[in-house]
Amino acid sequence: MDETLVVANGIGRDFPDGNAGRITVLRDVDCAISSGARIALVGPSGSGKSTLLHILGGLDRPTSGRIEWPSLGSFEELRPRQIGFVFQSPSLFPALTAGQNVGLPMILAGERDAADRTSALLLDAFGLAELADKLPEELSGGQAQRIAMARALAIGPKLILADEPTGQLDSTTAQFFFDTVLNRLENTGIALVVATHDDAIAARMATRWTMDHGWLRSGPYRSKAT
Amino acid sequence: MQLLWIRGVLARRFLRVAGAAAGVALATALLVTMTLFLLNASASMTARAVSAVPIDWQVQVIPGADAGAIGKALAQTSKVKAVHHAQYADIAGFQARTGGTTQTTGPGQVVAFDNNYASDFPAEIRPLSGSSRGVLIAQQTAANLHVGPGDTVAIDRIGLPPIDVRIAGVVDLPDADSLFQAVGLPPQAAPQAPPDNVLILPQAQWESLFDAQRKARPDTTRLQLHVRLAHNALPADPVAAFTFVTGMEKNFEAKIAGQALVADNLGSRLGAVREDALYASVLFLFLGLPGVALAVALTFAVTSSGAARRRIEQALLRVRGATTRQILSLSATEAAVAAIGGTVLGTGAALLFGLAVPGLGVTAAINGPALVIVILAGLLLGFVAFLLPVWWELRRSDPSAARRSVERDKTPLWRRLWLDLLLLGAAALFFWLSASTGYQIVLAPEGVAATSVDYKAFIAPALFWLGAALLTMRLSANVIASNGSLLRTIVAPAAGPLTTIVAAALSRQTRRLTIGIAMTALAISFATSTSIFNTTYNAQARVDAQLTNGSDVTVFGTSDNPAGARLATLASLSGTAFAEPMQHRFAYVGADLQDLYGIDPTRIGRATSLSDAYFSGGGASTILAGLAATPNGVLVSEETVQDFQLQPGDTINLRLLDARDHQYHAVPFKFIGVAREFPTAPKDSFLVANAAYVARMTGTDAAEYVLMRAKIDPALLAQQARAALGTDPSLKVADIGQAAHLIGSSLTAVDLGGLTTIELSFSVVMAAAAAGLMLALGFIERRRSFGILNAIGAKPGQLTAFLWGEGILVIAGGFIFGLLSGVVTAWMLVKLLAGVFDPPPEALSIPWAYLGIMLCLVAVSVVAAVLFSRPSISHDPEYLRDF
Repeated sequence: MDETLVVANGIGRDFPDGNAGRITVLRDVDCAISSGARIALVGPSGSGKSTLLHILGGLDRPTSGRIEWPSLGSFEELRPRQIGFVFQSPSLFPALTAGQNVGLPMILAGERDAADRTSALLLDAFGLAELADKLPEELSGGQAQRIAMARALAIGPKLILADEPTGQLDSTTAQFFFDTVLNRLENTGIALVVATHDDAIAARMATRWTMDHGWLRSGPYRSKAT
Repeated sequence: MQLLWIRGVLARRFLRVAGAAAGVALATALLVTMTLFLLNASASMTARAVSAVPIDWQVQVIPGADAGAIGKALAQTSKVKAVHHAQYADIAGFQARTGGTTQTTGPGQVVAFDNNYASDFPAEIRPLSGSSRGVLIAQQTAANLHVGPGDTVAIDRIGLPPIDVRIAGVVDLPDADSLFQAVGLPPQAAPQAPPDNVLILPQAQWESLFDAQRKARPDTTRLQLHVRLAHNALPADPVAAFTFVTGMEKNFEAKIAGQALVADNLGSRLGAVREDALYASVLFLFLGLPGVALAVALTFAVTSSGAARRRIEQALLRVRGATTRQILSLSATEAAVAAIGGTVLGTGAALLFGLAVPGLGVTAAINGPALVIVILAGLLLGFVAFLLPVWWELRRSDPSAARRSVERDKTPLWRRLWLDLLLLGAAALFFWLSASTGYQIVLAPEGVAATSVDYKAFIAPALFWLGAALLTMRLSANVIASNGSLLRTIVAPAAGPLTTIVAAALSRQTRRLTIGIAMTALAISFATSTSIFNTTYNAQARVDAQLTNGSDVTVFGTSDNPAGARLATLASLSGTAFAEPMQHRFAYVGADLQDLYGIDPTRIGRATSLSDAYFSGGGASTILAGLAATPNGVLVSEETVQDFQLQPGDTINLRLLDARDHQYHAVPFKFIGVAREFPTAPKDSFLVANAAYVARMTGTDAAEYVLMRAKIDPALLAQQARAALGTDPSLKVADIGQAAHLIGSSLTAVDLGGLTTIELSFSVVMAAAAAGLMLALGFIERRRSFGILNAIGAKPGQLTAFLWGEGILVIAGGFIFGLLSGVVTAWMLVKLLAGVFDPPPEALSIPWAYLGIMLCLVAVSVVAAVLFSRPSISHDPEYLRDF
């Protein structure tokens, strides 16, 4: 049975605009994510996709509205155990090798003993075993993003939030990356939300949410204004 | 475009610009304050030297020459302020009959000064007892003849019958060496001892008594014109003042065409001070330039810390079509803000600092061209520090470089060449070369206008400094890159369960971390070496001043009114830590009259500092123990040992004045050792014996002096002593502060006080800045990495483990290498600058409190850097968007 991982009601987010005013990035967004969900979050640049992902993942707090993680525990427990992140630009810790990057969330979670074994398994699963000792600077963009996805999976989260993970990859590499990810997540119950501009990627997700000027204009729940 | 760029930079990268500006400000401030110090030190040395000269010129008229014409020539010399006449007559001896005995002296001199002499030369005659007018007798002559005010003394004139005069007062002649010098001797000639027997007559009486002798034996009388020059007309720099005064003297000699001989006391004094001025410059170079170099290096390190980000910015600008020139132009705008801001800030801070530190002479130096040059240097530093790395990166960068923030380190060329060890070896070689020449860095030969500084001596510490910095980087890099147990042990206290991962992360940032450690170590080394040198210098200055003054405070009395009689009063003063009486008598060694000091060898060390360097053939404690064990033992000066061919154990018969019959009698002493120096003693010849033996053999235990060690400021203790003793003119109280001002061409003539304040303040700031600023900038440049760590689940404590790991590594490396190289550098400086120490220090003086505070401040700056960076890296998801 699907469990509800995240429920957001009427959340908004604004920031100082540098001229004593404020700029609104999210407007009264309602949404929910269940286990096993495959959601594509689309919309033009600046529409609020990254901000929404940050709030859904507990990296940022909304300035209005309410967000809950019914099955994921308290706010403090979200990361690294329950939610994994993948970012658009290089997000590996540059001072650590690929293997250490993958095992890092486990070490942060106090599971140091299992970190190396899990890291090796995941790298193998993503076809990256031979890159374990490479520094991020020595990896291609596609390799780095697969390492980042392996890292997001290391601790066994229930939700993965990926912010344009293929944004810097060519279409072939992007498709390969996504094939690998979807295969890996199949039958795991892990929910995946991907912010993307790539229609081909979005088309492979079960659900599509569209952001426009801070409004969530389509999806299972919509912003109240729409 | 430039305006837009700089607004963006200030809004988004303020700390980078502010850090560079801070480096420029530090370098500029240090340069400005050091320049102020140097200018002021030169001026104060000149002023002090000039004030210590009793008579600027002594112009001795050749027999038969026209004194009036010479006086006229002097009057035409523009800088002459006053001219007075002094008459000298040699006599065969004095005789006095007191208490039923007749005392007779050997040859002496009778002098007379014109009526207003004392108004321009007030320090030449110091009244001790009786009147200050009429016939005055020198203190020693009075003691020899056992006469006082009201007694009659017969003057045994040369070729004329003796004549009686009645003594009106007893006086001291503090500048007898100068007053009775033989005018016209070459500069290298040995100094002449002043006469033992001197009588001063009113001018009219001298004329009446010696007119006949002058006509009969003109070779036995002399007329001198004593000249006071206008001191405020002299240049501030001692070298320039020396040239000015000697030039004026030569000009005067040319005018009088050989009718007089000139003793240029002021020129000689300034000539001696030239050496001190050169030492001041040397100290500036040795102690100041490393600080400036450090500030410059810190500025470069700050600008280099943003290299990764700058590469990315440059790559983006290039992608958007910017040319190299345009990129340089944008960086120049950034550089202008840092350079101008830093220079203004540094100059302002230095001037404020100068106003706060007495003696830096801000107001006098503020218009100097040197200051303009220094400010321009600060501006240049700001531009070069910014533009050089930009230009360098533009030349070498490729598009892929924009992605790199951490890469596997390549072994730098200097490591492959073992340049660090080569530099240290070369430093040792140059140091040995300096040692083999006796560390003679400054040469200013007496009577020679040219001076020289052995700049090769600077090579050894400079090479050591560079070598130590590179060795620090090599050893740090070895420890960090190996990611071994030592690295994990160092970071474990800070990283806890994350030790392995933190150590691994650190091991991939070897280059950045070793630069941070090296900068911190250099700053700590600079602070350590400077503070140890300064403390050693000050300790020796105190020893030197104590040597001149006798102790912190000394009460000088006479045989008639010995200070020892007031010992109980002096010892009971609240500021007195210890008071010890010391006899000061005179004794004939053969025909040579010498100062004899009677001491208690077991107690004298409690009242004054006795350096091992004062004695030959053993340390102070050994020699004094030997004296204590030999009641009739005597320590003799080196000169006396040579003159009289003495061997240890020889018996020396000294003639001492016996208080019972007022006659000199031979007293046997046993020569047991050599004293090179002794508190209050003259440099050339003196004797030190047991006070108890001297008292027993002379019939009086009177101790003329009392030496006092202060437990408060010596000046305050001196005030207490003066108040307790009342207005007794024969008891003179002096403290080491006064002595330090009177010491001429030696250690304390270069006033290190201002330099010390500058150095110690700046070194603390730089040590703290090197550690804290470098770390903070490093953290901020890696905000996104920390943001990602936060995103993947690192708790705040885990995030800061990475920061603390770096911090503890920088502290550990900086402390160990900095303290070690600082102590070695201080040792080298003390050895190389041996010329400023008199006597040389026996050991380095370690300023524990300062070092403790400095290290604490470095640690605090690291803590502050971590605490400052911590909130920003954990709470702002905006950094995740940062490229």
